[in-house]
Amino acid sequence: MPGIASLGAGLVALGAGLGIGLIGSKAMEGMARQPEAAGKIQTAMLIACALVEGVALFGAVVCFMGK
Amino acid sequence: MNFTPVLAAGGNYSDDGEPTIDALVQWIYAHVADSQEWHLPFGIHIYLPDWISLHAVMLLLCSLFLFIIFGVMYKKKQTVPTGVTNFLEVFVLFVRNDISIANLGEEDGKKYAPLFLTFFFFILGLNIMGLIPLFSTATGNIGVTLGLTTFTFLTMTLVAMIKNGIGGFFGAFIPHGVPTPVLFLLTPIEMAGVVIKCFALTIRLFANMMAGHIIVFALLGLLYLFKAYAAPALPMAVAIYFLEILVAFLQAYIFTFLSSMFIGQIFHPEH
Repeated sequence: MPGIASLGAGLVALGAGLGIGLIGSKAMEGMARQPEAAGKIQTAMLIACALVEGVALFGAVVCFMGK
Repeated sequence: MNFTPVLAAGGNYSDDGEPTIDALVQWIYAHVADSQEWHLPFGIHIYLPDWISLHAVMLLLCSLFLFIIFGVMYKKKQTVPTGVTNFLEVFVLFVRNDISIANLGEEDGKKYAPLFLTFFFFILGLNIMGLIPLFSTATGNIGVTLGLTTFTFLTMTLVAMIKNGIGGFFGAFIPHGVPTPVLFLLTPIEMAGVVIKCFALTIRLFANMMAGHIIVFALLGLLYLFKAYAAPALPMAVAIYFLEILVAFLQAYIFTFLSSMFIGQIFHPEH
C-alpha cells in the first residue's frame, strides 16, 4: 500500500510521545515530593528517555527502509 | 538548492513547472547520506578520490580537532586550571567520576577511563560538527556507529575473557537465585543480550542523528514546495535545530553511559 511507511512513522511517534510523557510525569511527581533528590531523578529520567527513544527510532529506521 | 543528481526520467519539475516531491526527497538524502563530494560555501566543490568518502574525511577532521584541543591547547603544567583547560576539566572529570568510576569501581574505572573519554569526546565532536553547515554528520552513517560499538563489544567479550578467565566470563551469564530449569532458558537469552544491547547502541545513535537532520531538511524543503505559504516552517526548523544541539550532547552521554554500564555488568556481575 502506498504511504503505509508514513503511517508507521506516525504510530512510532505516538509510542515515543506516550512513553516519554509517562516518564516525565512520574519524574516530576518524584521531584515535587522530594526536592533534594531532583538531581538524581533528572539523571535517571534522561537515561530512561534515551532508552525509550532508542526503541522508537528502531521503528523509525524500519519506516525509512520501507518507502 | 542544487538538485544534482537529476532524476533520469522523472525530472525535477512536473508538467506545470512545480517542483516534485521526488526531487525534494533526493535533495534531503543527498545532504544526509555519505557521498564522494564535499560542498563548501562560496561554490567550492571538492571531489574526493575513490578511496575516501565524505564521512571518512569528517572522522579524520574530528580526530585532528581532538588532538589539537587536548594535545596543544590543554596545558598540563597548570595546578589551577584556567580557560580552555578549565572548560575541558569539567567534562573530563564528569566522564571519569560519574560514568567510568560509578559503573566499574575505583581501580577499573581509572584504568578504563580513557576508553570512555574517547567515546564521549569523539561522538560529541562528530555530532557538533554535523550541526555546522561546513561539515556533515558522520555519526549519521551506520558504519561509523557500528565501528564505535565494535569497541564496546570487543571490550565486553575479549577483554572480559582475558580479565576474568573463560570460565569466569561464561559464569557471568548465569543469573543468581533462579531455579535450575529456568537457567536453561535464561542463559542463552543473556548471551544473546550482549549482541542485542550492542546492536541497540548503534541504532540509537545512528537513528537519532539521521532523523534529526532529516527533520530539519524536510522542514526547509517545505519552503521550496509551498514558497511563501510555508513561512512558519522556518522558525520550526530553527527550533528543531536547537533541539538537535541538546540531542548531540545527550546522545554522546547516553552512548558512553550505556557502554560503561554494560561493560561494568560483565566485569563485575552483581550477586
